Amino acid sequence: MFARSSSRIFNVINISCIQSRSARAWVRKPLGSPMAKSKMFRIAPKKFIPADEKAEVKRLYDNYFHQMKSLRQYFFEQSLEQAESGEVAQMKHRLEDEEHIRLMEENRQENEKTAKLREEKLKIQAEKTRENILASLINKEEETRLYEIRIEAFLEKQKATPFIQAENIEKAIEEALANPVDFNFAIDLDGYVYRGRETAIEKIPEEERERLRSN
Amino acid sequence: MASAIPTFTKIGKVIRLNKHGCTNRPFYHIVVQKTRDNFDGPVIEQVGSYDAMPNSQHEKLVAVNFERVQYWLAQGAGMSNPVAQLLGLSGFLPNHPQTLIQSWKNRREPPRERKLQPIKGIAPPLDNPKI
Repeated sequence: MFARSSSRIFNVINISCIQSRSARAWVRKPLGSPMAKSKMFRIAPKKFIPADEKAEVKRLYDNYFHQMKSLRQYFFEQSLEQAESGEVAQMKHRLEDEEHIRLMEENRQENEKTAKLREEKLKIQAEKTRENILASLINKEEETRLYEIRIEAFLEKQKATPFIQAENIEKAIEEALANPVDFNFAIDLDGYVYRGRETAIEKIPEEERERLRSN
Repeated sequence: MASAIPTFTKIGKVIRLNKHGCTNRPFYHIVVQKTRDNFDGPVIEQVGSYDAMPNSQHEKLVAVNFERVQYWLAQGAGMSNPVAQLLGLSGFLPNHPQTLIQSWKNRREPPRERKLQPIKGIAPPLDNPKI
């Protein structure tokens, strides 16, 4: 069983040297064993093949390998064809087609369902948008109304304030000159405020005295 | 006997002859094997047989399942030289060059002398008086 196995090349015990009378399986000589003494000086005759024969052999082999290559290709294509045209393959094709049709039908139904849902959703959304727009319009109207009211009030107020006009500027100047205003004031340690130039407490009557109060 | 090589490596397949005879009686199976398995090893498929010993009509009988051989060749299986020669001679594949080369040699060289020459014709009368 192991006799011709390649693993036997690497055994180190030279079994072929062990004598035995019983029939023994053929065992390879171990690697590195010396050449037999009787073959030591034997020179094997060299094989001679004429050049033309060599060329012919080469041509034959080349042809053979080319032919085999194309034959292999042909066989492979044949096998592919067989795989396509076999009964099992056709059954598979049919099943695949059926599956495809079924899936397409399912897809169509799903599309219809989603389309319906989408329509409803869009309808609700449109309603909502319309309401929103209306509300915003009403809001806007209200806002503009309020704004106008505020503007009017502001204008009323502005008109009510006595601005110095070009006509009565002379009069205003004269009035201002006639009534000079003094903004200076002083505070003493008791918190009494002295407006103007008067800083003596005795000169101010009791009722007119002004006092800052701290808590 | 299982192969010692792990199965996850991609090993090439080959169509070759496995010897199934006994002493002085060669008989071969044409089998598909992994390249590294030997004749003890597992055989993937037997695609034919080859009786190398000529029968009474001087015929060497070969049986080949061409469909399976074609399948295995399409799968990229290799072929040993003897199998290629057999298939070439059977007309399934082109002739192997070795066949032609062997035929030249046989034509060129004188026929080998046999150790035992068969006696043809009628046997001569026995002249031994003891028998």
